[in-house]
Amino acid sequence: MGLFDKLAGWLGLKKKEVNVLCLGLDNSGKTTIINQLKPSNAQTQDIVPTIGFSIEKFKTSSLCFTVFDMSGQGRYRNLWEHYFKEGQAIIFVIDSSDKLRMVVAKEELDTLLNHPDVKHRRIPILFFANKMDLKDALSSVKVSQLLCLENIKDKPWHICASDAVKGEGLQEGVDWLQEQIAQSDQNDENVRQ
Amino acid sequence: MSAGSSEMKDLMASSKWLDAHYDPVANLYTFTSCVALADLHGDGENKLVVGDLGTGLCNMKLKVYRGTGLLSENTLLDLPTGLVSFLMEQHEPRTPAVAVASGPFIYVYKNLRPYFKFTLPPLEVNPLEQDLWSQAKEDMIDPMSLKEMLESIRDKADIPLSARSLRFLMLDLQEMVTFVNLHKEQPIRRQTVITCINTLKKNMADEDAVSCLVIGTESKDVYVLDPEAFTILSKMTLPSVPTLMDVTGQFDVEFRITVACRDGNIYILRRDSPKPKYCIELSSHPVGLVRIGKNVVVGCAQETLHGYTQKGKKLWTTYLPAPVTTMGLMDLPCRGFQAVLVALSNCEVHLYRDKNLLSIIKTPDVVTSICFGRYGREDGTLIMTTKGGGLIVKILKRTAVFDERDTAPGPPLAQSIRLNVPKKTKLYVDQTMRERENAVAMHRAFQMDLSRLRLAAARAYVKALESSLTPMSASLSEPLKMNAVVQGLGPSFKLTLNIQNTAASRPVMNLAICFLYDEKLYSMRTAFFKIPLLVPGLNYPIDTFVECLSDKGISDIIKVFVLREGKSAPLLTAHINMPVSEGLALN
Ligand SMILES: Nc1nc2c(ncn2[C@@H]2O[C@H](COP(=O)(O)OP(=O)(O)O)[C@@H](O)[C@H]2O)c(=O)[nH]1
Ligand SMILES: [Mg+2]
Repeated sequence: MGLFDKLAGWLGLKKKEVNVLCLGLDNSGKTTIINQLKPSNAQTQDIVPTIGFSIEKFKTSSLCFTVFDMSGQGRYRNLWEHYFKEGQAIIFVIDSSDKLRMVVAKEELDTLLNHPDVKHRRIPILFFANKMDLKDALSSVKVSQLLCLENIKDKPWHICASDAVKGEGLQEGVDWLQEQIAQSDQNDENVRQ
Repeated sequence: MSAGSSEMKDLMASSKWLDAHYDPVANLYTFTSCVALADLHGDGENKLVVGDLGTGLCNMKLKVYRGTGLLSENTLLDLPTGLVSFLMEQHEPRTPAVAVASGPFIYVYKNLRPYFKFTLPPLEVNPLEQDLWSQAKEDMIDPMSLKEMLESIRDKADIPLSARSLRFLMLDLQEMVTFVNLHKEQPIRRQTVITCINTLKKNMADEDAVSCLVIGTESKDVYVLDPEAFTILSKMTLPSVPTLMDVTGQFDVEFRITVACRDGNIYILRRDSPKPKYCIELSSHPVGLVRIGKNVVVGCAQETLHGYTQKGKKLWTTYLPAPVTTMGLMDLPCRGFQAVLVALSNCEVHLYRDKNLLSIIKTPDVVTSICFGRYGREDGTLIMTTKGGGLIVKILKRTAVFDERDTAPGPPLAQSIRLNVPKKTKLYVDQTMRERENAVAMHRAFQMDLSRLRLAAARAYVKALESSLTPMSASLSEPLKMNAVVQGLGPSFKLTLNIQNTAASRPVMNLAICFLYDEKLYSMRTAFFKIPLLVPGLNYPIDTFVECLSDKGISDIIKVFVLREGKSAPLLTAHINMPVSEGLALN
């Protein structure tokens, strides 16, 4: 429990709140991943599951997580889009055993990357090729090929295979994300001085 | 024209569908009636269930797909004619069963294991036929007279012969005796087969309510079966053999069964009536039947799509570019969207809302089965199988919108709007009166003018012939056609003569071309040359160059004659109006 505690603590020193968006299709493992990352004292802020899409929010001392399913034949898609502006880092979760919906994940990713609130910002994106434990799961290399991640040129990104149930692979991803946030912080400060 | 083609581009649905999966060698040979989507394992993930016809003799299978892969296979004993998934009972776990109709049987699978086999009740046997076979059993009748008697029953009786008698009638004399000896001990039976199958909610409208099976048979009957006991709850009779069937409503409340039959009619059956309530007579045979809300959309063999109300009133007709292979409903309840998918033999699937073409999907092969619905966890999934055994899975983009606008080719909408025709004026009425009173005189005057026109035309024609001015040869032995093209700005022009022999098969030989022109104005390198043999039908372009000698901006006619060797009158004459020379000679 509490893989993010370290990250949170480190950022806490700077008295800064970082908004992390955790996105992906339904059933990809977002809730499971976030539960692994959640520090034990974190409280869930609100869950709005009724109107066709659900958003989970929770806060630690310095991290604010917003989690939502990019699923359903989207009447409500514009509702989640207004969270893009606040996001300072993105965790994008893919069910690597769902070959059929890989195109849908790619479509959602492309829409996200082309959104005006995301397109021109250097937001770090962490991909979890989740459910790597399942026997028909694709490798993270194959997933990154299918999603054409090599085309993302203007944002730092990283992909790791994970098993959210056992918590495997999450640490590597979180370490990378932490480094990215720290770096962009550094840059911000350099600009200010 | 260009507007039309850009509209067509809009219709090409590449922007509306994601290509999730395509396996050209999936080895799936099936039709729309044998494909279903169902949450077979109760895990929220819909599976694809297919009754595979194989090659028609072997490899008939019940196949289940999960995502892109085959999950399981069960061998089927006979060709499947239809497949449905349905909930048999109320209690948990609420996983649907699969019913496969084949021959006179329905095989019911639960958890993909054989669970129950339903057999259609046997049909009444003709008593005369029964009698004959009892006599045969006692050896009281010889095969020849048995044959004759059976033939007379076949030709006259109301109750048709059993399969055994029909087979007997096909035999040669020497085979008959063995056949009779082999079969005479068993009683004769008349069995019919299932032609179509569907489901009908028992008494609740919910998505996951218990459903009865509804079957249509070759004996022109429709049966409703109890979902648990498989007893016959209701039997209805049609005037013809049902082939396609749509069912809506609830058995205990009110229902409506729409059946397309082999006689080219659609019949509508309702609760409390053993006979059809309404009949729709189609102009050609139905190939696909889809109900959309309260309307019925039928695809017919004559490349047409018709819309009818549930009472059989025709609403519209649309003409299709190719024959229909199959049809399916595209229902997206979360968006309140419904449309009809029509697969055509030109490797396209058209999407229609009413008579409006919304979008076209191109497929690599002819589509033979269509199924739209929730597959896996994705609501807008379109599954198609092809003639060559391929499997195509497309997912509707969440951002896709279908334009409401009328994109169907055909008469524009404006045509059906009533015009605000002004009242008849006095002048109009006067004119009508005059026309009515003087009809004969007016007709005569018209005929006179027409004759004059014809005379003038004939005179002009004769004059042209006499002076050989025509670019069409009048001689029957050398039917020729010529036209000339002048290219260039001057002072050099290129003159191309296109000559064609319009005879059916005879070539023309020994022709020459000669030019006549003002030698002060023009000079030509060759003013006379021979034409090669003209093969019928081919176009012979002949080029020559003309130099304009004057720089005063004047032009003249050059005459071209096509001549026959040894004949002074030309066969063809053309006058070429030369353009004014606009260029300057290079000196
Ligand atoms: N085998 C396996 N199952 C997982 C993994 N991650 C999540 N799941 C399961 O996938 C299902 C959906 O997970 P959930 O976190 O609710 O997905 P969400 O819709 O993205 O929030 C649950 O049944 C999880 O137990 C994984 O890494 N391996
Ligand atoms: Mg969740």
